[in-house]
Amino acid sequence: MRLRRFTYALVAVLVLLGVAPAISAQALDISAGGQPTITGAVNGSVTGSASVLNDLVVTINFGEVSPLNTNGIVKVVVPIALRSNQPYQVSVSTSGLNNANPQALQASDVGFGIQNMRLLGGAGKTCTQSTHVFQSPFNNDPATAAAIGSNGRVSYASSLANLSGSTVILSGPELSKNNSSKRQQSDGYVFDAIFTVTPQFFAAGVSSATLIFSISPGPNVPC
Amino acid sequence: MLMMVQAAVCLGQSTTGTVSMSATVSKFVEINSGGSVTLTGNSGGGVTTDGVANNPLAVSINLGELGPGNTNSFVTATVPLKLRSNAAYVLSMSATVTSSGTSASRIGAADVGFGLGTVTRSGIGVNNTGTDTNATSGDPTLAANGSVNATTGRYEFTAVRSNLGFFSSATTALSGPIIMNAVPRSNANGLTVPAFFAIKPQFFENGTTTISVTFTVTAP
Repeated sequence: MRLRRFTYALVAVLVLLGVAPAISAQALDISAGGQPTITGAVNGSVTGSASVLNDLVVTINFGEVSPLNTNGIVKVVVPIALRSNQPYQVSVSTSGLNNANPQALQASDVGFGIQNMRLLGGAGKTCTQSTHVFQSPFNNDPATAAAIGSNGRVSYASSLANLSGSTVILSGPELSKNNSSKRQQSDGYVFDAIFTVTPQFFAAGVSSATLIFSISPGPNVPC
Repeated sequence: MLMMVQAAVCLGQSTTGTVSMSATVSKFVEINSGGSVTLTGNSGGGVTTDGVANNPLAVSINLGELGPGNTNSFVTATVPLKLRSNAAYVLSMSATVTSSGTSASRIGAADVGFGLGTVTRSGIGVNNTGTDTNATSGDPTLAANGSVNATTGRYEFTAVRSNLGFFSSATTALSGPIIMNAVPRSNANGLTVPAFFAIKPQFFENGTTTISVTFTVTAP
């Protein structure tokens, strides 16, 4: 009898130990937010899951961005889903784009903005005391905020050059109503990360970069 | 089993996501018209199809009378060229000259003087560093580039690559470093250079002559 009670108790403890981390992990979650899209590309593509249940793993190939591409701009929109049961912040870090030739593609040549915060699947926590804040200068569509600088080169209201280390781009109050231990189709928010490159007389070559989006506990704002 | 449940739950959650990106810039070169053609010293003739700046180069010129009836020293056509590139470039040219005449006195390729003038790199977005190499001798009508052959009496363009006889096959006329900085194609600036074509009116065999010239720019 004692052994049976001990066994039940042990199982209960193990169950709690197993579930607790899972609930904790659900507190902050970032995932794919829908099908990424690309326009204006020549030999370009974007791959990523359309399912909001899948991790955020997106590969963008802007394709040809020399004057051989006669389109005005190459634009990629990546929806990103967020879930949290606490105030959050989203930060981005970048690596890999380090062309020594100033006439080659630079971080400042890749426009980067975020827009269009919306409920995930039509459901999520609606807070009245705090708002979700796109941090400056990223609250723009770089495709419409592009301009030609005094040197003739295209510049953006925000670009990858505005990322320094791990840069917070978005923050706000809790996002989810429920405390589900599993990633849900709804009950959170989605925003669009927008990337652009304007075809120009860049020095020839192939360039690449990697961006890491992270969600973490944010400023303790009320809901 | 608990561990399996735990693992399955964790697979559905993440605090990080990755966006990888790449882009390709291929070598790009282009040649366009640098503007209107100038025709001087002609007797009759004219510019049939003129050049339009920043449009494809496709000009047609009637040089008019080239016999002694034209008392001008030279008939000269100046064709502005505009080059743009994101890499070092080579401008080559090839030419064919066909005449209805049958004798040695008909107009031939060597009777058509050719040269490139001063190279200009100016305007926002144009790379001003480096040196362009003009493989021709410049304006073929310059005294240093031609003279009357003391033996035959025929006027000859004698300097290096100063007549179309040097360009029976694709031959380099101009080369240089990258022309454009990182600016959009809508930027209309570039490298401009005049191409001179000249013929000295002489007692050529009468008939008609057709001169066809093709410019090609490459990024080796």
